[in-house]
Amino acid sequence: MESKHLRSPIYFVAAAVLLLCGRSLLAVDDSACLECHGSKQAISDAAGAMDLKLTPERIEQLVRHAPTAGTPHAGIACLDCHPKADEIPHPAGLLKESPCVVCHENELNQVNKSAHRDPKGGSDLRAPCWACHQAHDVRAVKDPNSAVAPFNVASRCLTCHDKGEYLIGVHGQAVQLGGLDFAATCVSCHGGHDILAPKDAGSRVARRNISFTCGKCHGRVAQAYRASVHGAPLTASDNPDVPTCVDCHRAHGTQDPLLPRFRLSSPEICGRCHRNKAMMAKYGLSASVYNTYVADFHGTTAELFRATSPDQPLNQAVCYDCHGFHDVESVRTAGDKVIKERLLVRCQVCHPKATAAFLSAWTAHYEPSPTKYPLIYWVQVFYRMVIPGTIGFFLVYIAVDVWGRRRHRRSS
Amino acid sequence: MSPRPERIRRFTARHIANHWVMLIGFLGLVITGMPQKFPAEMWAKGVVLILGGVERVRFIHHLLGTIMALQLVWHVAEGVWLHLVRRLDMPMIPKLADVRDFMQQIRFNVGLASEPPAMDRYGFAEKLEYLALVWGTAVMVLTGLLLLYPVRWSALFPGEWILAAKAAHGGEAILAFLSILTWHVYFVHIRHWNTAIFNGKLDVEAYAEEHPLELRRLRRGEQATPAAIQGWRVAVFALLTVTMAAGVVALLYWLRSPAGHIWTIQVPGLQ
Repeated sequence: MESKHLRSPIYFVAAAVLLLCGRSLLAVDDSACLECHGSKQAISDAAGAMDLKLTPERIEQLVRHAPTAGTPHAGIACLDCHPKADEIPHPAGLLKESPCVVCHENELNQVNKSAHRDPKGGSDLRAPCWACHQAHDVRAVKDPNSAVAPFNVASRCLTCHDKGEYLIGVHGQAVQLGGLDFAATCVSCHGGHDILAPKDAGSRVARRNISFTCGKCHGRVAQAYRASVHGAPLTASDNPDVPTCVDCHRAHGTQDPLLPRFRLSSPEICGRCHRNKAMMAKYGLSASVYNTYVADFHGTTAELFRATSPDQPLNQAVCYDCHGFHDVESVRTAGDKVIKERLLVRCQVCHPKATAAFLSAWTAHYEPSPTKYPLIYWVQVFYRMVIPGTIGFFLVYIAVDVWGRRRHRRSS
Repeated sequence: MSPRPERIRRFTARHIANHWVMLIGFLGLVITGMPQKFPAEMWAKGVVLILGGVERVRFIHHLLGTIMALQLVWHVAEGVWLHLVRRLDMPMIPKLADVRDFMQQIRFNVGLASEPPAMDRYGFAEKLEYLALVWGTAVMVLTGLLLLYPVRWSALFPGEWILAAKAAHGGEAILAFLSILTWHVYFVHIRHWNTAIFNGKLDVEAYAEEHPLELRRLRRGEQATPAAIQGWRVAVFALLTVTMAAGVVALLYWLRSPAGHIWTIQVPGLQ
């Protein structure tokens, strides 16, 4: 039977006060530890007394201070995590096994299911807690001095992961240079304790989840993408060929898509897939769209302009000026008539005098053939025969002439 | 020192100036045109980089193309004037004798004939090149004019013609360039180092080998003399040329597209 006293509100309040203030009331005393670990001088003196030879770096590592007041770990004593440290000299294996689990069991459970877990199933995590949070000066995420504050996240992850291009990407620059704490850090896309490898279906950056992850900030863009010819097949059937956000924008070195440089390189981005004959054949699409674009006035200009002034704005049409970007639609959806109407509107943006007849001055990415654009085809065939024919005739005549003249010179 | 061989006047200042304009125009058009035909190639990008960007390359191409078009028109007018008004011969026009000369030269080269053909002022090789040049220039000027104003032309005839013109412009350009590289370079740089088109004079030895018929006439003191100018011929000539010039000006006025200038077009994304 429970005592009635235990349920009395006064009892609860007293217990709560004790819990909340306990740490400060029962102030921990680390002074014994700090006697040696409080300064470099103290450490080297102690090491000298014990005949230990320590490198200057090691000495620096061993200097410790009590957790700053106001940080979450203030009030945790050295011995809480290093219980054997009261033996002098300290024995090996000073750190208590899984010291963090005492208070942070949920987080550790998450890590044990994440990509950072011990591959052997033990407690030897690939990334132990202190790899990210630091061992001693642990602070809350919102504390700007925290090791896991947005500004510092990249430096923690980049210690092991070779993804430095994040720092020159638009997100890394926003965080590092722009001081935007809400711009994406590693954790924003990959998660923290529950991080999973991209190949894991449950990962935030698995192919079919990427648009949702980016969509946390870029909501309308992600929505348009998921309805597009590229996004819909991914959601519907895990299509392995369609691009996700990162295939065009890059995952880490994300470029500002409003920069002229991105605009000028965009045909090359589309061309990566739309030039691939095997991939396009799967969907009955033409793999010559890129080459016909570059052979066209728009593409020729963009290609040559990009080579000389990649950072200057150019008004020539690139793929997405006509096809759209996040909301790309299949040319088969709307039908020929509607497409022509829409196309004329697009043409008139730059060619105000364009009429419906002007549309015929474009092969719609088709390569001329005897049935499609036969006039162009036959002109091409004509020159394909006349050029080698003429030049071949010239060369044969010249060869005979050279030979004949040599013969006559020798005989005369 | 051996005495300097006698040199015979072959070209006048008019010929020399004509050739210089053609030389600069042709080379300039090849240099600024080929990168536009092969934009994906590294050398094309290098040429554009050296010349200062694709817009400048296009501007030079259009400028030289216009000069070459004017030269073609001038040449036709000049030919009409000399032939129809001054009643002079047209020595560049091929005749049956040129085919005979051609066969004779081949027979001589392979050893079936003992004598090379005796040719007049212009041999078959020069006539062939001249005709190819005039034909090629006409094709390039006409197709180029089509490519310069695609929006306006599409109101007159199917847009496919403009694209066919683009194919022809590129094909003809390669044909012309390779022809110069083979035929022209062989005959005036390798077979003989012939500088007559720059200084107007040719060594008598080369003259005797390549133009024996003309040399014999020159030795006899025969000179082609233009006929007296007749008023009605001049009037017809003037009427034709003025009409043609007016037609060209009217056409260019119709073709101009003030709303489509490059600086009035908004760059998408940068409004």
